[in-house]
Amino acid sequence: MRPRNATSYSAIAIVAGLLFFSATPLPAQWLGYRIPGVPRTADGKVNLSAPTPKASDGKPDLSGFWESDTAYFYDLAKDLKPGDLVMQPWAKALQAEREGKEHQDDPLSDCMPPGVPRINMSTDAMVHPFKIVQTPKLVVLLYETSANSTFRQVFLDGRPLPKDPQPTWLGYSIGRWESDTLVVETIGFNGRSWLDTAKGHPQSEAAHVTERFTRRDFGHLEINITIDDPKTYVKPWSAKVPVHLLPDSDLIETYCENEKDEAHKR
Amino acid sequence: MMNRSAWLWLAVAGLCMSASAQWLKVPTPGIPRTADGEPDLDAPAPKTADGKPDVSGLWAPAEIMIDDIAKKLKPGSVPFQPWAEALYKHRRETESKDDPTGWCVPGGVPRSDAVPYPFKIAYTPGMVVILYEAVQSYRQIFTDGRELPKDPNPAWMGYSIGHWEPNAFVVETTGFNDNVWLDNHGHPGTESLRVTERFKRKDFGHMDIEITIDDPKAYTKPWTVTQPLLLLPDTELLEYICVENNKDLVHLVGK
Repeated sequence: MRPRNATSYSAIAIVAGLLFFSATPLPAQWLGYRIPGVPRTADGKVNLSAPTPKASDGKPDLSGFWESDTAYFYDLAKDLKPGDLVMQPWAKALQAEREGKEHQDDPLSDCMPPGVPRINMSTDAMVHPFKIVQTPKLVVLLYETSANSTFRQVFLDGRPLPKDPQPTWLGYSIGRWESDTLVVETIGFNGRSWLDTAKGHPQSEAAHVTERFTRRDFGHLEINITIDDPKTYVKPWSAKVPVHLLPDSDLIETYCENEKDEAHKR
Repeated sequence: MMNRSAWLWLAVAGLCMSASAQWLKVPTPGIPRTADGEPDLDAPAPKTADGKPDVSGLWAPAEIMIDDIAKKLKPGSVPFQPWAEALYKHRRETESKDDPTGWCVPGGVPRSDAVPYPFKIAYTPGMVVILYEAVQSYRQIFTDGRELPKDPNPAWMGYSIGHWEPNAFVVETTGFNDNVWLDNHGHPGTESLRVTERFKRKDFGHMDIEITIDDPKAYTKPWTVTQPLLLLPDTELLEYICVENNKDLVHLVGK
């Protein structure tokens, strides 16, 4: 088991753990390396309540190694009230089928990318944090994922979203700053990603995902996610995902080279 | 006559990559241009704000060496240990049927320097990141002063640290697993492999990577090859999900 943190398992996490255990390597290096230039308290620990750092261009610097609240990996809509999320009839039927079959058809268990926004979500069982690498014109998101190490690029160079893009798992992303929030807009999905794992909320090719990243202080980030997918949902809906910094740790290489999920599907 | 490895790579290209995509013609901001607006690839090599060689950009091999990374060396000059030479010959005789990249793992280092898909080098304080279109993978090269890890958990991409010399960005990488193929032909590497890459940007559009292979278990002495790169202006990486439609395995039958 990975050493980053000890977590309790919910029933769903045990299923997910079976699904995702195979692709995860053993503990690795640089997990305890003291990263220089980081605010620390008198006892040498990273000061997670220090102010939000600034980038060289004066924007908030979101760079860091982050772990999201794990519950949203399983159910992105968990905080919504009835009526906040209204599925189109086909989507409701598909979602019920996925949930009823204990997500056995999840493309993630076939080592496909988790999709957006699910790729940001850490899991109870295996954590899978992500790293934000911020430059003025390009923000890179480096992911472990429970399938393969992969990345997203978010362009801040002023380009518009592409028209009629070639469909992809992770879409095409542009970003802009609204006050202290990085607003990332993503389109161009292939319609096969699941928004979450236990519920299997569908996503269509028409989906437009907005992720608003706000770093509250050194150790805390929030991603406010809006799903605008009129083919699938009657109206846009949102989820607010808390994220915390993982101090003095780093990404672990993850490749889906020892695939044993199939044996656990049922 | 195309050799088998080249066919394999074409098969990979045809099956795993999107046929067309977006942002392939978006002007790259901040690159020097000639009077007619074309990217000026012969402009001087840029420097970073603190005066170091800037090797960032979107690059691809200017010469295909992925089949045989030693192809420009004098024949017979790779200083194999006997077992490594035997393994290499076996891999050649069996037409690389055991190539791990057939299973969609990344090619590792230095094979990823030669992979015939674009890769992007980007700078951030304390780290240089390389984003590879191939298998949608990445490497982190730490420049924050940390040392290479001791007894690292073996990895396909290894663990990399970098520093600057007056005319090069120098990357040292260790911590590989024991199934390293340095190229499609299968020059072997072991867990004792240490790769030094010297990224030398000659002008805006051209760069060499001098690659030194130091693996005393597989080779009697270090050996060095040079992979030339060409900058790809006004285009972008494509999504490449190898596991989605991988048809390599049926072609990796060997003899």
